[in-house]
Amino acid sequence: MSVRSASLAELIERHRGELVGYLARMLGDRQEAEDACQEAFVRAHRAFGRLGPDANSRAWLYRIATNTGLNAARRRSHRAARAAEVDPDALPAAAGPSLERREELRAVRRAVEALPPRQRAALMLRQFQDLGYAEIAAALGGNEDAARANVYQALKKLRAALGGVRP
Amino acid sequence: MITHDDELIALLLGDRRRSAALGRWLGTLEGRRELAAYRRTLEALEALYGDAAAAPRRTIYYCALPTPIGRVFVAAGEAGLVRLSFRQSEASFVAELRRLGADVVRSPARTADIVHQLRAYFAGERRSFDVRLDLRHTTPFQRRVLLAAARVPAGQVVSYGEIARRIGQPQGSRAVGQALGQNPVPIVIPCHRVIAAGGRIGGYTGGLGIKRKLLRLEGALAAAG
Repeated sequence: MSVRSASLAELIERHRGELVGYLARMLGDRQEAEDACQEAFVRAHRAFGRLGPDANSRAWLYRIATNTGLNAARRRSHRAARAAEVDPDALPAAAGPSLERREELRAVRRAVEALPPRQRAALMLRQFQDLGYAEIAAALGGNEDAARANVYQALKKLRAALGGVRP
Repeated sequence: MITHDDELIALLLGDRRRSAALGRWLGTLEGRRELAAYRRTLEALEALYGDAAAAPRRTIYYCALPTPIGRVFVAAGEAGLVRLSFRQSEASFVAELRRLGADVVRSPARTADIVHQLRAYFAGERRSFDVRLDLRHTTPFQRRVLLAAARVPAGQVVSYGEIARRIGQPQGSRAVGQALGQNPVPIVIPCHRVIAAGGRIGGYTGGLGIKRKLLRLEGALAAAG
């Protein structure tokens, strides 16, 4: 027991940063992400005994984090929608200071916030957490095709939010 | 049924190589427009949710020091000096730092190095600064101008046109003037050493009186000038 506990602590230590980042992208709120990550680690602790010795432990942690994040998103949808943390006006100048660009960022942010939570999770896993479709499928449940379809659907909605764009 | 949209997304995400049919579609006006739109979408996503946006909030430390040109505020973060300001109230300086998306903390300890160097400068004991600069809130053009101005040594002056020439934009002296006017770290980047053609003093965001004072301190302007 003590040996396995130590290795769970190591596992958490190794992946904590990326998991908080993932949950922040999924929930749009750093503090909520920190809380959800803490909750995910408690769940991981309970489930650790059932993790097989050959299992992909990173994918396993992502699965737990995803479930925790989806629960948090569900709980939140019962409350008033909160202001997003990512403020286009607070981004560094390199992100593009032009008015047109800021409008674009705002449109994309609104579209991300309107995505169904599973699509948002799939998009963030693919785009920022470097998970393949098999791992995304493992994290979300469902098969690889469904995982891919979630990512593509999400991107189509974000693209639609931009409207007309000059080539 | 796989649409052009799906194929385009697959291409941009690196899931799949470009098919001949997609290549043909990308040659059409619609294809080019959609390619541009999806690229912009991914760029926006990166700007909003990429590592830079997801990073924890940074902290900027500041403090004030009395100098011959009045109270000077300096602000620095982990990456270096962010702002230097004078003729500004503490409240408005702090508000400006907050707009950079940082937590702002007054800390003489964290700003001791630059404060020490500034004291020596105003005492006439130091003619240049050795500090890291954090210029992330400036545009690439502005950075080129600022770095060119930073190379003008104390005791010398150059014209706006000369800076424009040094950055390879000889027609850009007006833009150079504007970029220098928004110098986030005056004195440390000595934009006061850049003057108008024909030896006229030119402009200075901090006021011409201060520009003259600084040049006099450095010996670039006669004491009576």
